[in-house]
Amino acid sequence: MDQSLATATAAPIDSLPRQRLDAALSQVNEVLVGKNRPIRMAFACLLAGGHLLVEDVPGVGKTTLAHALAATLGLSFRRIQFTSDLLPSDIVGVSVFDRGSGEFRFQQGPIFAQLLLADEINRATPKTQSALLEAMAEGQVTVDGASRMLPQPFFVVATQNPLDMAGTYPLPDSQLDRFMLRISLDYPDAEAERRLLTGENRSEMVGQLTSRLSGADILALRRRAHAVTASPALLDYVQALVAASRKHPDIRTGLSPRAGLALLACARAWALLGDRDYTLPEDVQAVFVPVAGHRLIPARSLGRDALAQGLLESVAVE
Amino acid sequence: MKRNRTPPGTRGPAWILAPLPFNLLCVTVGCVLLAHAPHMPAWYTAALLAIVAVRWWQRRRQHRRVSAWLRIVLLVSVLATTIAVYGSPFGREPGAAIVCGLLVIKVLESERLRDARMAIGFACFILMSALLFDESLWFTIMVGLMLLPALATLRALEPGLPESRWLPAFRTGGVLLAASLPAALLGFLLIPRLAMPLWGAPDNGVASTGISDRMAPGDLHSLLTNDAVAMRIGFDGAPPPDGQRYFRGMVLWDFDGQAWLPGAAARRPWPPGRVATRGPVTRYEVTLLASHQHWLFALDVPVEAPEGVQLGPDHTLWSIKPVDQTLRYRVASATGYRLAPEDLDPRLRAAALELPPGFDPRARELAEQWRAAAGANDTRIIQDALTLFHDGGFVYDLDAPPLGRDSIDDFLFDTRTGFCEHYASAFTFLMRAAGIPARVVVGYQGGYWNDFAHYLLIRQSDAHAWSEVWLAGRGWVRIDPTAAVSRVIMASTGGAAGDVGGGGRNWWMPWRDRLDIVNRWWGQTVVGFDALNQSRLFRPFGIEHTTVRMLGITLAVIVFLALGVGALLTSLRPRGKPRDALAAAQLRLQHRLARIGIVRGMTEGPNHFYLRTAATLPESAPVLLDLGAEYVALRYAYSEPPPEQVRVFVRRVRHFRPRHMVK
Repeated sequence: MDQSLATATAAPIDSLPRQRLDAALSQVNEVLVGKNRPIRMAFACLLAGGHLLVEDVPGVGKTTLAHALAATLGLSFRRIQFTSDLLPSDIVGVSVFDRGSGEFRFQQGPIFAQLLLADEINRATPKTQSALLEAMAEGQVTVDGASRMLPQPFFVVATQNPLDMAGTYPLPDSQLDRFMLRISLDYPDAEAERRLLTGENRSEMVGQLTSRLSGADILALRRRAHAVTASPALLDYVQALVAASRKHPDIRTGLSPRAGLALLACARAWALLGDRDYTLPEDVQAVFVPVAGHRLIPARSLGRDALAQGLLESVAVE
Repeated sequence: MKRNRTPPGTRGPAWILAPLPFNLLCVTVGCVLLAHAPHMPAWYTAALLAIVAVRWWQRRRQHRRVSAWLRIVLLVSVLATTIAVYGSPFGREPGAAIVCGLLVIKVLESERLRDARMAIGFACFILMSALLFDESLWFTIMVGLMLLPALATLRALEPGLPESRWLPAFRTGGVLLAASLPAALLGFLLIPRLAMPLWGAPDNGVASTGISDRMAPGDLHSLLTNDAVAMRIGFDGAPPPDGQRYFRGMVLWDFDGQAWLPGAAARRPWPPGRVATRGPVTRYEVTLLASHQHWLFALDVPVEAPEGVQLGPDHTLWSIKPVDQTLRYRVASATGYRLAPEDLDPRLRAAALELPPGFDPRARELAEQWRAAAGANDTRIIQDALTLFHDGGFVYDLDAPPLGRDSIDDFLFDTRTGFCEHYASAFTFLMRAAGIPARVVVGYQGGYWNDFAHYLLIRQSDAHAWSEVWLAGRGWVRIDPTAAVSRVIMASTGGAAGDVGGGGRNWWMPWRDRLDIVNRWWGQTVVGFDALNQSRLFRPFGIEHTTVRMLGITLAVIVFLALGVGALLTSLRPRGKPRDALAAAQLRLQHRLARIGIVRGMTEGPNHFYLRTAATLPESAPVLLDLGAEYVALRYAYSEPPPEQVRVFVRRVRHFRPRHMVK
């Protein structure tokens, strides 16, 4: 909800990171015109400490979004183009023998970045995919028996093309669960498209972006988001939604406890983005479809997002 | 000028008619117009439909009102058109045409929810009035289904429906319609019937269907092409064979050169002469549909009249009251009979020989030639006439050419084309001219025997005219001159089945005749459920005669029981108990707002609800926004809301009165 009643009772978050957060949002919005909501959703995912899956047809700005985020957030950025011959070691790195010192030295893979763009993740083999997904879940990689921590914050933006399925390995349902949010960018509306056509080159714009936030800011904002109040009434609502997904006749597998956690975390981050220190049912509703859509396994051939929307419309709010 | 910001999901102020209910209203009005189309001029219906369509299209494109001047012009045109078409604004047809026009004008001015609600109420009333014109089962079902869009419109007028979704509105409408069926059945059975209709719907005295008591060449044409049911007959025993299925209606004695009329002889209490019956008497029950005539029909020839009906001197049945509603009566007839075989009353003989002077000289001449050749042999003259029809190049054709002043001459010598009434008329004329007492009988002949339900179905197209001649020693003998005609041209209209014995009918006609069982059941059980039937309602329970008082008490008891069971079920249904004082106060506020038409959706978040409500009620907006902020904070910003603040909120809700009514 962009509009909110509650201003009097809201205790605004520390003003400095808050201002930077707003500046970061508006900077990304300038690059990707007319994508207000998906960008906000990406920020919510970042603040909730999750990873983002962008599913859409080519050319709608998936990669631009990741670039703009990286530049704006002031994070170290790496990009991996997933292909079918990509190996796990191409991602996490490999130990090489150093003749000079006479010992093995670990050569860091591209995963050692704060923001990782995993482009067309479904083109890699399941083995490679799971290497990335494990790193995403653990926040560390293990090579030759030694665990190596990934830098913090660690934020993965993976993209996936839902069409053009030839020669791909679609992520299995269990792996999809590791992405906190799944969003799509959709085509721009007429006005945004015109601005896109008449405006300057997007990649040049991305190159000129300055960082608005730092890694430390993001970690502070994450702590802040975690502290956003979720009242008993709101927890009831989240639980009711999760319970409804498990009883729904059209859903084979309902939402897992991890999904419930993700829903709450995202709703909190969404509230934070709305400059509130408590969560409203509207926040839960706003993030529900991106959080739940890819985790629901339909019993019949139904659209997952439509299913999530139907679920949302069946649970009462206090 | 301050403009209220409307929150997403709402469209303009709440009392403005949204596109979905307006579209549904247009559909409803279209249905009403179609239900009344059968009795209104086609161009009038088309014009009204076009006005609705144009308004629908225009409102879709731009939101502009229809000016009052245009509506006044339309109002005047509707009244003027009705008077021009029907001659008077009073009566059933003109009345229906006027209210249909008024309904369309109401659609033109429907801009608010209140207008639409009124229009729907009006539309339902007009839709039901279509049953004054047609009571058949199919039409009743159709009218019932046409209530669906009306109910769907009412649903769409209520808040909480997703925009531009027709299906949920129709689903609610269907549920409402189905739920109303038991109540309708109860009312049908138990609301006391009046023995007489409360008001007679005047229909300007025009008999729309049925045989009239005047027969001129061409008069029966419209009847012979009319498929409407005239009557249904159930026999106690076996039905009479095909050739004897002549149903006597009235006897026409007087010929004025153009038309045959009952004449004086039909109504005089002259002795009818004895009936000598041979063979068994056939007993049967006739269900005669409203004919607006006094004549009742009976198998040739009735020997006993039903109660309250006179058996006339010419063996016709004459009811004191015209048959304005479906009438059921029992009659006994003898198919083997001799009618007044001994002697004919001289006055009747004179009436049966009278011919208008100065008409049809050639026919008279022909008859006199026959008489001269035959001498005293009446049978030979009859034979001569029938031979003429058979061999004289006569054609049976419903599309008979018009006849001049000497209609009999024109028919016999020039056109030689016609149907039953031409032949009966010419034959009777020839007989009289030859000195044989003769008269015309009008009634029905043939019919469809429904072997499954065992009844004879007579349609208007079975209407027939034949002759009776009086022969010494044999009495009145039925002669059907039409049967002598050898060449038949079937009219494309497919009627006249009874006239020539059923050849050339469409393939679907037998099916239609078979399916008439359903109509018969409907007519007897539902339409025919009158005060008498109602008084026998409780016979299975041993109550011989049910009084109005008993019906009323039964109705009241059942209604009370139903309401009681409903209330019990509602109270037993598990209801969400408010969690605490805060939730209770919020529910109270929601109830108060719901009463003026602002309903919180089940999944609507509190933030959105308060913003929407504040936009709908601008005058109460500051208070509502305050209350909303308080509630949202108390409910969602604390693990345990501070009791003091909750008390303040509860107090503020108690004193809150919405300032602006939603229209």
